[in-house]
Formats: sequence, structure tokens, C-alpha cells
Amino acid sequence: MRQINSICIVDDDPITVFGIKKILNNVVECSNVKSYGNGKLAIDAIKEALTKEENLPDIIFLDINMPIMDGWQFLEEFTQLAIDQKLRVNIITSSIDLADVKRWEHYRTNSQHLITYNNKPIKKEKMAEITKVA
Amino acid sequence: MLRIHQKQSNSYLIKQLPTATVFLNTRLEVEYASDYWIDYFNFDDRNVFGKNVFTLFEKATDSWKQTLQHCLNEKKSNTGTEYFLDVNNKERWFEWTNLPWHDENENVIGLILQTEDVTRRVESELKLQRQHMLYNEKSKIAKIGSWTYDLQKQELHWCEMTRAIHGVSQEFRPNVDIAIDFYKPGHSRNTIAMALNKAINQGISWNKKVQIITTKGEERWVMAAGKPLYKNQKIVGVLGTFQDIHDQVINELKTKENERLLRTLIDNLPLNVFIKDVDSKKILVNRSEADFLGFDHPNDLIGKNDFDIYPRHIAESSYEEDQKVISSLRPILGKETICERKDGSITTFLTSKIPLIGIDGTATGLVGISLDISNLKQKEEELRDLINVTSLQNKKLVNFAHIVSHNLRSHSANFSMLLDFLVNEKDPEQQQNITTMLVEASDNLLETLNNLNDVVAINTNTNMDRNPVVLNDMIQKVIQNLQGVIITNRVQIVNEIPEDIVLQVIPAYLESILMNFITNAIKYKDPERDPLIRLGTVLQDNKIELSISDNGLGIDLEKYGDKLFGMYKTFHNNKDARGIGLYITKNQIEAMKGSVTVCSEVGKGSTFKIYFNETN
Repeated sequence: MRQINSICIVDDDPITVFGIKKILNNVVECSNVKSYGNGKLAIDAIKEALTKEENLPDIIFLDINMPIMDGWQFLEEFTQLAIDQKLRVNIITSSIDLADVKRWEHYRTNSQHLITYNNKPIKKEKMAEITKVA
Repeated sequence: MLRIHQKQSNSYLIKQLPTATVFLNTRLEVEYASDYWIDYFNFDDRNVFGKNVFTLFEKATDSWKQTLQHCLNEKKSNTGTEYFLDVNNKERWFEWTNLPWHDENENVIGLILQTEDVTRRVESELKLQRQHMLYNEKSKIAKIGSWTYDLQKQELHWCEMTRAIHGVSQEFRPNVDIAIDFYKPGHSRNTIAMALNKAINQGISWNKKVQIITTKGEERWVMAAGKPLYKNQKIVGVLGTFQDIHDQVINELKTKENERLLRTLIDNLPLNVFIKDVDSKKILVNRSEADFLGFDHPNDLIGKNDFDIYPRHIAESSYEEDQKVISSLRPILGKETICERKDGSITTFLTSKIPLIGIDGTATGLVGISLDISNLKQKEEELRDLINVTSLQNKKLVNFAHIVSHNLRSHSANFSMLLDFLVNEKDPEQQQNITTMLVEASDNLLETLNNLNDVVAINTNTNMDRNPVVLNDMIQKVIQNLQGVIITNRVQIVNEIPEDIVLQVIPAYLESILMNFITNAIKYKDPERDPLIRLGTVLQDNKIELSISDNGLGIDLEKYGDKLFGMYKTFHNNKDARGIGLYITKNQIEAMKGSVTVCSEVGKGSTFKIYFNETN
């Protein structure tokens, strides 16, 4: 099984967080999986890790609709951060709104990171594909 | 001796003759001459006696010379006219008469030549001739003919032109009956017959515009005039003129017809039409313009300028426009102008001003055409409002559709995922865990459906009855219901709303709105201070503005402003925040055709303003 150092899940829905973790267990081996209830909590944690020069998550699972700071606002701040590595961000959403797809396109083409757009629910095969480190 | 004496006495006798007479011998030499003759030809300085007559008259014509010779030979008298140049080099005419000069034995011994000054007569003859020619030319050009009628002889004479106008030849012999029959039956013929009768019997002249029918059957307009001729105070005939004025009359009729056509056209156009001179004074105004300006007749506006009709500021800009068109010769076409009448009423026009350019290339004024588009303007505005409302509705609908789709999809994704886990899970403890989550997901879905149902209900019941509600009564009721929360959170409520404020609302919505705002103010209180809620109203342009201010956490509007009233949007780490309250509140306000705004500062508090449109 694939070994991944650190994974971060940003979603306010505990069921989704549970689901992602469960499927992840079947696909990769990762001892460090953290989850945050909204974008603000997640971005704060990443910023802190950056200043403390700790390891950053290799893969981020990101929900769009969240309180306080939603997925887009998170991406806006995240893509501005001075990160040397190329990280992987998997947007996990139930939205099939074309406007959301367009916004993803915008971030995808304007960022050094690998950003993907995935509709819920995530199946095991899909999870295997999107957990390859960028 | 006797003979010499005789000759001398003859000479003296002839010298005194009161006529210009000269006696020539057979050699045509002057034998005797009267002083008159010498004077007449200005021969004073020269000795004429013994001189040949033709040396005296150098310019004598050959025919005269022959005539004189002829007189000597044939002993016949003759007369003729000759001219000579006098001392002033002026042409002078004389008439001569020559007679053979006999002696006692009836022998021709010469001839007697008598001359008479006819310069004046010849001149007047020439003048008459010229005038006659001129008259003929004039008559041809003006197509004026003449005629005379001799009462006694019952004879009618037509001149050349009169004949030409009638279309008859020079041999045609007209009489009065024929002449009258040339006139068109009816008005023309009756008029002339009567006029002629009156001229003959009462001595009344006439001058009438009538029609004749020529021999070619062509109807032509003529000006027929006549007046009685008197002799010894008795009417002996009638003379008159006869002028072909057909072309003029036809042109006149055409012009009049065109004028009438134009007038009818501009008077009945659904446009305001006016013509102004270079000083912007109206010189023509149509019916519509007069009606618009409240004048009984278009003529009442002639000579007036815009300053006489419109308020000063309107007149000034219009005058400026006129002058620009007149000086630049460039028209203004289809310009939207706002016109204010003296009574203050406003009309929107589509105005064109076109310069009237004279023969010399400068403007003599301008033609103005205005189309009243006020109705169109109003319709356009109504349409724009409707489009705004529709697009707003459409936006809301799309938004709602997304909310529904997103929320339902999100739940169904969870179900699908959990069921997939459950099927593949062997561990009974894990199975139990997943089942609990399924129940939770089911509850969430139910709640979402309930919320969506509420929103749909609000938006479909926009025609629910609105009743007058005393605002303060409703506030009291809400405060009463929230009594527990208010006391627990030590909330202070300051109500500055006057007692007499009454709103036309759906009471249940008003209650829900107030409940939501007050609850929110408490829910998102600043933990550092006790909540203070201030309620007040302002009356503005028929709208009642209800403001609800708190000293709570406040919201970062720069970040969340566009989402504040969205569905399932929450902005604080609050367990009770469901992201549905403000969405429903906004829908309820809009269902009553009101609106809501917010201003807020993080750490200080928020103020929501709700506008109730009382005119609706």
C-alpha cells in the first residue's frame, strides 16, 4: 500500500469526514490524518506549520460549502502562501454547478499545486487515483 | 422794261407769300422764292436765286428728281414727302407739292414747288407705328387680345390674338351669339351674357375670370373684360380685352391644392410641427403643436418665441439649439428632449430641427418636428422595472434551484457512501456505527427538506393578505416570547418606535422577521458585554424604515457581505448557527415587497434596516 506522510481533510460534515477517512484506509497508509471543520481552521493550521517549518500535508481534501471560510476562500489564501513543494488539493463537493467548475479551473491554472475537482460520493477507485502524491 | 418791272413786282409778291414756295425755271433753277421757303431751309446766307434746286438739296432722292422732271414734261402736278438735315443736323420732313408754271399763253415756263413742314406729323406717325408694333408684341407675349362690338352695325371684331385664343382662323367671322357660345355652359356663359347685357343697357364695365371651350374642345381660363363705348353720351358699342390666363390659373390652382395638401398633412400629423424664422419666432405651427401648448388656433402662436411659451430654462436651451442649427446649417435629428410647459408638466420628445436654406445659401429659419414619446418612455421604464423584477426573480429561482440540488445531492451522496460501507462492513460494531450515521443523515435530509419547503411557501404565498399591524404590539409579543432568553443573557432592549406606527404586513412574517433579528442579536452577542438592542423607525418617501441595532460580534461584510442572506451560510463558530434564518427572513421581507440592508463592524455590532413600502 502507498505510504503518505500527512493528509488533511477540510469539511464541516462529520459523515463526509468519516467516509473519506474510511475509504482512505483501504487505499493508502497514512499515520497522520487531520480534519478541520472549516477553511479558517485549516488555513490557520497550515500557516502555523509553515512558520514552525513543520511538515505540510501532502494531500488536502477540501469541501466547498463551509461556514466561516468556505473552500474558495481557503484556496484563495492557500495559493498565496509561499510553499516550495507541490501539494495536492482534492476538492470534494456535491456541487455540479458550472460556476463552481469554472472557479476550480481558475485556481487550477493559476497555482503551482495540483488541484482536482471531484463529485461526491468518492468511490475506492477514484480515491486510489487522487491520492497519488503530486 | 415793262417785262423787267413785271418781273420785279412778281419777285416782291412771291417773296411775301405766307407759304414756303419757290418758282423754278425749266432748268430747275430758282427764279423766285418766298422768305418762308428761304427761312425754312435756312438758305439765308446763300444766294439761292439762279441755283439749280438739286444743288440746294444735295440729298434729294432720285424719285423726287424724276418727279420734278416729269412735271415739266408732262405738265402734271404731284405731291410727295422728303426729308433734309437742318443746321442742327436734325432730320426734318417736308411735304412738297409741285405744279407746272404757265405763262400767259399756257406755256410751261417752269414749276412751282410748295413745301410744308411735316416733321411733327411724320414723327407722330412713326411713333404710332412703333406703338402699334409694341402693342402687338405685348399682346402676343401676355396673350391679351382685344375686340370691339359695334352696336349699330351689330358687328363684332376680334383681333388676331383674340382669334388665336379662341382657336379660330383669321377668316372666321364672329358675332355676339357665337362669341357667347364659346364660353363654357353654366357659370362662365351666364356671367358673360349678363355682363354684356349690363354693359349695353346700363353702361357697366366688367372684368371676369371665366372659362371658354376652344374649337379644339379644350377648356381654357380667360380674363374677359369689357366696357361700353360712348358717342354723344350714347352707348354705341362695347370694347374689351380678352386674355388667356389658363396657365396662371392652373398653376394657381395647383399651388393652392399643394398648399391645402401640405396644410392638411401637417395639421393631421401626429407630430408637432413648427417653422421658425431666424429670430426663433414661430411663423407656422400645426394643429398638434397648438393643442399641445393649449392654444385654440395655430395662428395664435404665430410671432411668438419660446420665451413666450416655455419656462425660461427650457426656452433658453431651445433658442440656443435653434441658433446653432441656423448658423451651422446642420440639422438636429431625432434628439430626445425634455419639454416642460408653463404648468410644469413634463413631456419627452424626439425632436428634429432642420434648417430652411434660402436661395442665397443661408438659413431663413428652421422646420421643427417633435414626436411625443412620453408614453413610450413610460412604457420603457415600466418594461425596465419589469425586466429588473423578472431578472431578480430568475436569479432567485436559479439560486434556489442550486440550493436544492446541492443540498439534496450532498445528502444523497452521504447515503450512497454510508450504504456502500454498510454492505461491505463485517465488523458488527462498525455496522452499528454506520447505522447511527445513516439515521443522522436521514434527519439532516428531513430538516433540509423542511427548510426548503418553508422557503417555497414564502415565495409562493406572495399574495397573502396584508393587514395593518401596530408595530409596537408585535414587538411586545416577540419580546414576551423570548422572555427566557432575554433574561438569561441579560439583554437590554431600547424601543424608540412611536406608538402610532402601523404597517401593512403579513403578520406571521413580521413576527418571524422580528424574532429572527432579535434572536440573532442575542445569539451572536459579544461575550465581553451584555447585549443591547435598539429598535427605531424613520419615515422616508412613503417608506417606513425599521432599524434593529445590536452591540454584538459584528460581521466582516467585506468577506461575507454577498453571502449574509444566502442559504446555509454561517459566519460564526456557533453551534446553533444553521444558516437558514436570514435567508428565510430576507425572503419574507421581499414577499411583502420590502427590502433589507445591513451595516456592521466586527467587534462593535450590526444594524439591520428593513424598508416597508407603504405605497404598495
